[in-house]
Amino acid sequence: MIRSPLTNPYLLILPGFLLAAFIILWPLYQLGTISLNDVNRFGQLRGLNGVENYVAVFTDPDFLGALWRTFIWTGGIVVGTLIISVPVAMILNEDFYGRSLARVIIMLPWAVSLTMTAIVWRWALNGESGMLNSGLQNIGLIDQNIQWLARASTAFPVQIMIGILVTIPFTTTIFLGGLSSIPDDLYEAAKLEGASRWQTFREITLPLMKPFLNISIVLNMIYVFNSFPIIWATTQGGPANSTDILVTYLYKLGFRFGKLGEASALSVMMFALLLAFTILYVALAMRRERT
Amino acid sequence: MNPKLKKSLLYWALLSPLIVLILFPFAVMFITAIKPANEVLSPTWWPREAAWRNFIDMWAVTNFGTALWNSIYVSVLSTVLALAVSIPAAYAMSRFRFRGQGFFRQFLLVTQMLSPIVLVIGLFRLVVWLGLLDNVNSIVFVYGAFNVAFTVWMLQSYFSTIPKDLEEAAWIEGASPAKALVMVFLPLALPAMTVTAIFSFINAWNEFVIALTMLRRQESYTLPIQIFSLVAGRYTVEWHHVMAATFVATIPVAVIFAWLQRYLVRGLAIGAVK
Repeated sequence: MIRSPLTNPYLLILPGFLLAAFIILWPLYQLGTISLNDVNRFGQLRGLNGVENYVAVFTDPDFLGALWRTFIWTGGIVVGTLIISVPVAMILNEDFYGRSLARVIIMLPWAVSLTMTAIVWRWALNGESGMLNSGLQNIGLIDQNIQWLARASTAFPVQIMIGILVTIPFTTTIFLGGLSSIPDDLYEAAKLEGASRWQTFREITLPLMKPFLNISIVLNMIYVFNSFPIIWATTQGGPANSTDILVTYLYKLGFRFGKLGEASALSVMMFALLLAFTILYVALAMRRERT
Repeated sequence: MNPKLKKSLLYWALLSPLIVLILFPFAVMFITAIKPANEVLSPTWWPREAAWRNFIDMWAVTNFGTALWNSIYVSVLSTVLALAVSIPAAYAMSRFRFRGQGFFRQFLLVTQMLSPIVLVIGLFRLVVWLGLLDNVNSIVFVYGAFNVAFTVWMLQSYFSTIPKDLEEAAWIEGASPAKALVMVFLPLALPAMTVTAIFSFINAWNEFVIALTMLRRQESYTLPIQIFSLVAGRYTVEWHHVMAATFVATIPVAVIFAWLQRYLVRGLAIGAVK
C-alpha cells in the first residue's frame, strides 16, 4: 500500500473536526463558566455564585410563561405539520396532472428565508392596510379589521400557522421518501384480497411509514424548538413578552436586559434538552437501521 | 371524463387551501412591491398602475447594494471554508473504515442539531475575543464552522455512491493516491460538490440570528438584517420598498432552490439510510 496523507483518515477528518468542535465547545465552555458566576452586563465575571443564576431563571415569571408557550409552539407546529403532511405526501405520491407543479408550490416556503417570510407576513397582517384583512373582507369572512399582531391571542396562533406552513415542505419530503420505499406489490396484494382504502392505509401504509413519522417528529421538534426568526420578525415576542418562546426570551435576556448570567444558565439548560432530543433521534435512527 | 382527469381535479381541490396559504405571502410581496407609494397604505388588492420604479428607488433607499455585497461575500467565503474542510473529511468517511468513525458521525449529528441560537452568547464572546465584532469575517467563520456537519453529511452520502473500484483500478495502473483522487474521483464527485456548495450558500444567505447579533453597523449588514432593520422599531415603514427589496433578495435563491430541491432530498435520504 502506498503511504500518503490521503490514505490516513484521521488526517483527513482533522480540520473539519477541529473547526466544528471549536465552534461548539469554546462557546459552551464560556456559557458554563458565566452561568456559575456573578457577572455584570458587560460580561465581567465577579466571582462564583453557585447555582444562583439558575435559580433566578426559574423564579422569573416571564421564563415560566415562555417555557409554557414553547410547549404550545413546539407541540402545535409539530402536530399540525404531521396532520397536514401525511395526506399531502400521499396525494403527491400519486400520479395526477400537474403533480410536479404542485410539488414545487408545496416546497416553495422551504426556499425562502424565514426572516423574509416573517417580514412579509408582518405586513400582510397589518391591522389597517394589511392585505389579509382586506382579502377576508372581500370574501365576506370578517366585517371589520382585526389587529392580528397587537394581541397574543391572535398573534400567537398566527405565528404557529406560519410555523406549520414553513415546516410542511421538509416533513412532506421525508414522507415522500418513506412512501416511495413501500413496494407496490403490497398494495396490489391488498387490492386482490379486497381490502378497503382505509384498511390499506391502516394496515400497510401507516406501519411501514412509522420510522419516517418518528424521525420527522423528533427532527421537527428540534428545529421548531430552535426557531427564532418567525416570532422575532413579526412581534419580537411582544406585546409585553406575551408571544415570547424560550429562544426569543433568551435573546432578550442576553442582549436587551444584559442579564448575561441568567441567559447563560438558560442556554446551558436548553443545550442539555437539545442533547437529550438528539440522543433520542440517534436511538430512533439506529433502530431503523437495524430493522 | 377519464379517470386520471377526475383524480387530478379532486387532488387539486384537496390541495387548494394549502396552496392558497402558501402563495398568499408571495402575492402580498409582489403586489406591494409594484404599488405606487400613495396607494401602499390603502387596503386594496390591485394597484391602479404598476410602479416598476419601486425596484430602482428601493436600491438606493434601502442601501441594497452594500447589503447584497455583504451577503454574497459571506455566503461564498463561508461555503468555501466549509467545503475545504468537509471534502477531505467526507472522502475519509466514505472510503475508509477506521476506529472513531461512529463517534465522528454522531458528533456531526449533534452539531447539526444545535442551532447557533443556543450558543449565541458564547459565540458573541468568541467573536469579541477574536476582535471580529462588527466584521463580516466573523460571520464567515461562524457559518463555515456550523455548516461543516451538513456539508460532510451530504458529501459523504454522495461519495459513497461513487464506486471505489475506479480508484483502485487507477492505483493498480500505478497512479499515486493523489493522482487517482484528482484524475478519477474528483471529476465524478463534482456534481455532488456543486449541489452541496449551493445548499451551503443558501443556508448562509438566509441566516438571521448570528448576523443580527454580530453585526452592529449598517455597513456590515447582510440582506436579512438590512431588510429587518427597515421594519423593526420604525415609526413609518416604506412597505413598497421593503417588499421590493424582499422580492429581489428572495426570488433568485428560491428559484435555484426549487430547481435543485430533489438533489437535497436524495442526498439527505441516502445519508439517513446508509
